[in-house]
Amino acid sequence: MERTRASRLAGGLRFARALVAMNLRASLALRGAFLLQAAFMVVNNLAFFSIWWILFERFPEIGGWNLSDVTTLFGVVASGYGLSVVFAGGVRDLARAIEDGELDTLLVQPKPVLLHAVASRTVASGWGDLATGVGMLWVCGALQPSALASTFLAVATSACVFTASGVIVQSLAFWIDGMQTFARQVWEFTLTFSLYPRPLFSGQISFVLYTILPAGFVGFLPAELVRAPSLPLAAAALGASLAWTWLALFVFARGLRRYASGNRIGARV
Amino acid sequence: MSRSRLARSASKYAAIAGAAVRRALAERAVLAGRVVFLGAILFIFSRVWQTVVGGGAIAIPGAGKAELIWYLAVTEWCLLSVPPFFLSIEAEVRSGDVACRLVRPVSYVGAQLAEAFGETALRLAVLGPAAAGFALLIAGSWPADPRGLLLALPLGVLSSVLAVLSMAAIGLSAFWIVDTSPIFWIWQKLAFVLGGLLLPLELYPSWLRALARFSPFPAMLWGPGRMAFGFAPGVALETFLELAIWCALAAAGLAALATRVRRRLTVNGG
Repeated sequence: MERTRASRLAGGLRFARALVAMNLRASLALRGAFLLQAAFMVVNNLAFFSIWWILFERFPEIGGWNLSDVTTLFGVVASGYGLSVVFAGGVRDLARAIEDGELDTLLVQPKPVLLHAVASRTVASGWGDLATGVGMLWVCGALQPSALASTFLAVATSACVFTASGVIVQSLAFWIDGMQTFARQVWEFTLTFSLYPRPLFSGQISFVLYTILPAGFVGFLPAELVRAPSLPLAAAALGASLAWTWLALFVFARGLRRYASGNRIGARV
Repeated sequence: MSRSRLARSASKYAAIAGAAVRRALAERAVLAGRVVFLGAILFIFSRVWQTVVGGGAIAIPGAGKAELIWYLAVTEWCLLSVPPFFLSIEAEVRSGDVACRLVRPVSYVGAQLAEAFGETALRLAVLGPAAAGFALLIAGSWPADPRGLLLALPLGVLSSVLAVLSMAAIGLSAFWIVDTSPIFWIWQKLAFVLGGLLLPLELYPSWLRALARFSPFPAMLWGPGRMAFGFAPGVALETFLELAIWCALAAAGLAALATRVRRRLTVNGG
């Protein structure tokens, strides 16, 4: 039994690696378009970030946070978001795939359906997000050898929670029709709120940002781990990412039991 | 062109705009999403202003916390009211469907603009009251001199016209580069930064403010937004003229682009 589980896990990892390699090849096949999208996304992110720079020129602190803290937050979230859309780009369209019956072709293949659905697509501009994030983490000193482990953990957990929250909200399409727009909006809200300093939000909104819109686990908590690394923070970030991942797998699996074929005729090559 | 032909032509575009309004009304989820997004952004920045301004005022005449929230409500209203219709132009170019649209007895660009203006009008009508409601709820009061908001209304409408013309030009660029999203991102972020979407230009370093004034974005967002800081008919008129000039330039640029597109067009499929 244990051996079967281990071999299934190893098979899943091999499959994930193959999907990543395929996505990389697909992105690089159109090298010009790929580079253009990534470069424009970097410019886009820097332009957005310049708002913070302007604000901190006027007001040196916002709720105890300075420009370096916001740079760290932006770096973690941009890297996490970039990882998520590059390696699990299918999450964005999962609700549409469910509603259109596109999972049919995946169900007949001997591979994990969720992994196949989310990891078989990539978003080229995500490389621009990743580059921006890494650049910002470098600027604020989070890529020093002594800080590398906590930074890596912070970015990985941010990406995990972001991907998992997307899977959860998009999977609601198994139960409710017309979820595409709503799911995308909720996911965008998570990203939007995660880019602002934690001290801005208190009371009930704080509860929302650690539950319905897990911006706290995408941005605040991982950024705090980079700012002031500690074992309790690392355990909290890791625990949160595992919990959200488990919840995403659970919700998708429950939804898949209800899945009705779209009777769609199609081929997957 | 005779008057009756002109009227017939106008009625075609009005019918297209009307159909776009009906379609947008049917897609309530998208509209509701924009309304909620507007509320969320106003809430976040109300927290920013609460934290940095507190009970005091910042160095902008007439601007306290409430006025800054109303400023944001106006600028967001202007920007969020414009649908991202460049994506539909891009999709039609990619799929080759543009060929089917070209044989219709209306100008392709004209039809796209009519659709966009129809949807924009609806969004302006829905998001305007929503923005005012959120601002009132979050700020807790009207701006010190709410008459300025009346001046923001025509400026907001003209600002949306300029944004629609710009977005049509972005959409037509699909005939050269296929994927137009990167150009849109840059345009959008330039509007964010140089237009003063989130922060009034008064807070910017002087060199950046001077740079911004060479672009259409301050007239598009900062101009209508600063009406929240007080009743200033002179400033409003100046902004209106600036917007009118930028609209005329954008329309001329779009017409030139449309002519080049017609010359260049090769069907990609369809």
